[in-house]
Amino acid sequence: MKKVVALLFIVALAVLLLYVVANMPPMGDPENPTATHVISRYLERAEEETHTENVVTGVILNYRGYDTMGEVTVIFCALAGVLAVLGRERRGVIHAFVDRSEVPSSVIVKTMVRFVVPFIILFSVYTILHGETSPGGGFQGGAIIGGSMIIFTTIFGLYESSRRIPLKVRASLEGAAVMGFFLVGALGLLGGGNFLTYAWPRVARSLQPSLVVWLTVLVEVGVGLGGAMVLISILFAMIREEEEIAPAP
Amino acid sequence: MRLLHNYHYAAAMVLFCVGLYTVIVRRNIIKKLIGLNIMETSVFFFFVSLGYLDGGIAPIHAGAADPARMVNPIPQALILTGIVVAVSVTALALSMVILLYRQYGTLDVDRLMREEEPEAAEGGKEE
Repeated sequence: MKKVVALLFIVALAVLLLYVVANMPPMGDPENPTATHVISRYLERAEEETHTENVVTGVILNYRGYDTMGEVTVIFCALAGVLAVLGRERRGVIHAFVDRSEVPSSVIVKTMVRFVVPFIILFSVYTILHGETSPGGGFQGGAIIGGSMIIFTTIFGLYESSRRIPLKVRASLEGAAVMGFFLVGALGLLGGGNFLTYAWPRVARSLQPSLVVWLTVLVEVGVGLGGAMVLISILFAMIREEEEIAPAP
Repeated sequence: MRLLHNYHYAAAMVLFCVGLYTVIVRRNIIKKLIGLNIMETSVFFFFVSLGYLDGGIAPIHAGAADPARMVNPIPQALILTGIVVAVSVTALALSMVILLYRQYGTLDVDRLMREEEPEAAEGGKEE
């Protein structure tokens, strides 16, 4: 009964939404409202104003830097929430990752993961540092690092992977994304400009382009490292078992 | 017909309805979360396809790329933000689900609503 009512409701909603879609402007038309307003200014001036070839990166980090700063704060708060709910592992205590699968990982899988993970991390570094000139950026690279550590942890277990990335390192880098944004914003204030504008009036004009590029890279690296560490910490908090096996020597 | 030409939008709407149906009908909390993620994905899909341009190129000033032919970069930038927020929401929700399962020993919403005391749950761990 409940299912029938739900299905009727969903079908009514779908008909309504599809009716709206049928009356929307045709997709891909250059005359669409989405393609005729602010976008042309972004596309034409982005390269000279933000000094990034990738307009998406320019929009995220420069034109809408405040938005991205707030978003970075959101993932930091999500991590804080997860740790408040599940708790963090304590230093000096070995935490177990109980493998509930029937078959333990074979030698082939272990060797492959050991071989592949460094290359994944290398690729993520490329994604982070090349985010201005090609598709990519801090969030994507950070997600790739997090994904590589998820692969590693599923095969080798929590103990092995938390030895690779100790609690100290994670705890100090989790705020890197937020810190990067605030640092660059504060440096902009010291340079005589506005918060997060990347343009410093007190610096010679000829140095401006390279200054903007370096500050953008700094923010990207901060976002990448911070995002990766947040993902890894959330993963560790989720798979951590309550039982503590033995205190470390 | 406009609906067939806008098939990206139509697909996003259908995906949204599938996600909403999952959220309403499924009793397992994790499946409800999967439905929520399907809904989020449909919104991202709709938004990114709003910025599509016929014969458009990626919004990257490489070589002699013509700005007039580039697709709209703003939906892509906004959706990048949206994806990160969706991941945050999912992570927080999943951690609460883990805690619920530890307390009550079940993921079924109907049974969770009936349970009053954590001690009364069968199979639940004592905290």
